[in-house]
Amino acid sequence: MEETITPDAINAENDTVLDIENFSVDYGWGENAVRAVNNVTLSVRRSRVLGVAGESGSGKSTLVYAVTRLLRSPGVIAGGNARLTFDDPSASDSKRRTVDLMAATSRELRSIRWSQLSIVLQSALNALNPVLRIGHEFDEVLKAHRSGMNKAQRRERATELLGMVGLNDDRLARFPHELSGGQRQRIMIALALALDPQLVIMDEPTTALDVVTQREIINELAQLRARFGFSMIFITHDLSLLVELADDIAVMYAGNVVEWAPATDLYTAPRHPYTLGLLNSSPPLSGERRELVGIAGSPPDLSQPLSGCSFHARCPYALERCATDVPELRVLDQTGRKVACWLHDTPAMVPAPLRRELATAQPHPQVSDPVTGEEVAQ
Amino acid sequence: MRMLARRLSLYVVTAWVAITVNFLLPRLMPGNPVQTLIGKMTGQITPQQVQAIRLAFGMDLNQNLWDQYMGYWHQLLLGNLGVSITLSTPVATVLASAVPWTVGLIGVSTILSFIIGTFAGALLGWFRGSRLDSIIPVATFFQAVPYFFLGTVVLLVFGSNLHWFPVLGAYSPSVTPGMHWDFVLSLIRYGQLPVITIVLSSIAGWMLGMRNMMITMIAEDFVLMAVAKGLPRRKVIMHAARNAVLPSVANLSLAIGLVVSGALLVELVFNYPGVGNLLLQAVQNEDYPLIQGIFLIITMTVLGANLLADVLYFILDPRTRTEAAV
Repeated sequence: MEETITPDAINAENDTVLDIENFSVDYGWGENAVRAVNNVTLSVRRSRVLGVAGESGSGKSTLVYAVTRLLRSPGVIAGGNARLTFDDPSASDSKRRTVDLMAATSRELRSIRWSQLSIVLQSALNALNPVLRIGHEFDEVLKAHRSGMNKAQRRERATELLGMVGLNDDRLARFPHELSGGQRQRIMIALALALDPQLVIMDEPTTALDVVTQREIINELAQLRARFGFSMIFITHDLSLLVELADDIAVMYAGNVVEWAPATDLYTAPRHPYTLGLLNSSPPLSGERRELVGIAGSPPDLSQPLSGCSFHARCPYALERCATDVPELRVLDQTGRKVACWLHDTPAMVPAPLRRELATAQPHPQVSDPVTGEEVAQ
Repeated sequence: MRMLARRLSLYVVTAWVAITVNFLLPRLMPGNPVQTLIGKMTGQITPQQVQAIRLAFGMDLNQNLWDQYMGYWHQLLLGNLGVSITLSTPVATVLASAVPWTVGLIGVSTILSFIIGTFAGALLGWFRGSRLDSIIPVATFFQAVPYFFLGTVVLLVFGSNLHWFPVLGAYSPSVTPGMHWDFVLSLIRYGQLPVITIVLSSIAGWMLGMRNMMITMIAEDFVLMAVAKGLPRRKVIMHAARNAVLPSVANLSLAIGLVVSGALLVELVFNYPGVGNLLLQAVQNEDYPLIQGIFLIITMTVLGANLLADVLYFILDPRTRTEAAV
């Protein structure tokens, strides 16, 4: 996981897997429409992990479902672009191919889905069909996308995939309800990797699990990523979890991306008051104990028109203009990190907690090594 | 398997209760059938005949209730259901000639209605809100029209006026019943109209039930997953339908249970020689042994159908196979 973040790395144009541009999503139509995702621009770098953090209703899942064209009614894509770039397996010269996900036909989408873009949902119990055996789930995916494989080969591949997540192939004959929550989620991860996709979307994959299982699965994910090099979007409300796993983190609030930065920078030196609030409300991974402080107030009602910054009503540092002018997500400094906050317009006005030095000299703020899972001395 | 065995023992108990009630019912009625019968004969009856009737009913006055009950069981196990008073034929023989007609007619209609309705319901659920939805009020209309009225109208229009279909009976009087092609063709030809009537008037239930369950299932994560997996649409629909069909299967068992009894009106309208017709005759003639026999058959089919549904459910839904934690 050694990496050097070159300036402007997080929006390096040429090596991204997924580009999301000015993306907006509504729930409902016309006057009753509620804007759930507002003009979001994000990208996922090749073989990197983009963490998307935010509380419930921040639009993080909606964004991802809309981008992958999996959003269900009454969700409506109100505008924006999304492009998926992947190594085309059918092209002999292994050329990269870019597909405009918004313009793709259902046939194109079908061929991209799972083979280039797979997804793991929060509840594996609901994501697995209750009346089908686990083996069937693997079989149908391989059947649909790898028509050349015969039954024995499909079975072999399924066994191999289960082995990757530490499960015996006798699980293939089981039904979902016969397995534990951790096993089910491991099966979902194995299933997501079945076709060597370019990008795997994890929608709160560990939220429904206990912390021990959560830890095991996060470590396994890091290992699998080191081995296969797929890109990942990891959605969670748990910012401290993301710091370990993600290369970049985008923080969403009320449908907007308010901060987007390399994970370590965002964790050690947040620049947006909301990010700071999120960090203060979860226990630190290392260092001295401190009092946990929640964010006062509650997220805005998106069905009402908002003026200014969506966070201004809860922001302890709000300026006068925050209530009227909408801040844009702009590049803040030479690292390429972005923030949508008026405070940074006048550097002298930035309060101390949002001015912390970047942790360039400090060790990576993690308790355990993502590859080996070993605890790092605190 | 233990689960199934436990269910089975429950069925045995239920069957015993049903048979016992069937035995007690005529004996609890005001007056008694023997008396009614004797009354009908207006004095032209000898004491020997009276005793013969009593014996035929298993209502020997010299026996107490317990001995009568034992006798009833004994005869039942021998397959002896008594003798029909009006037809002077053993009840078992009468039933054997009527049951196949009803089971054939109503069974075929019920299964056809189930298959077509469920299939249509799955598609209606998947393509909800499309123009396909206009089928629903039409189907509901046919279900709302009384069964026998629909039958009469269909009979008048397509049978009597247009002469597209034969009007009465189960097969052409010119063919002799038997296992040959002519007879089978005639059966199908004569069966069409009643089958169409029953299917028309019952399909809406299957369709709406399946449609609603489909809509519930479509919201489930595993259907979203099926789409995300890039499966062909047919397979995605199957993911939802495979789960949505479970309540319909439970309902099918109830419907099959009514196959033997539920066709009274259709059989009357189309003059079909089945159990419904027989029951009506038996009631009109106060033919108690026959009524009792028919009740027994109906009870047993309902139980049998329920058992069948349990087994089917057991196969279709793996979750029912695990024992409930007590």
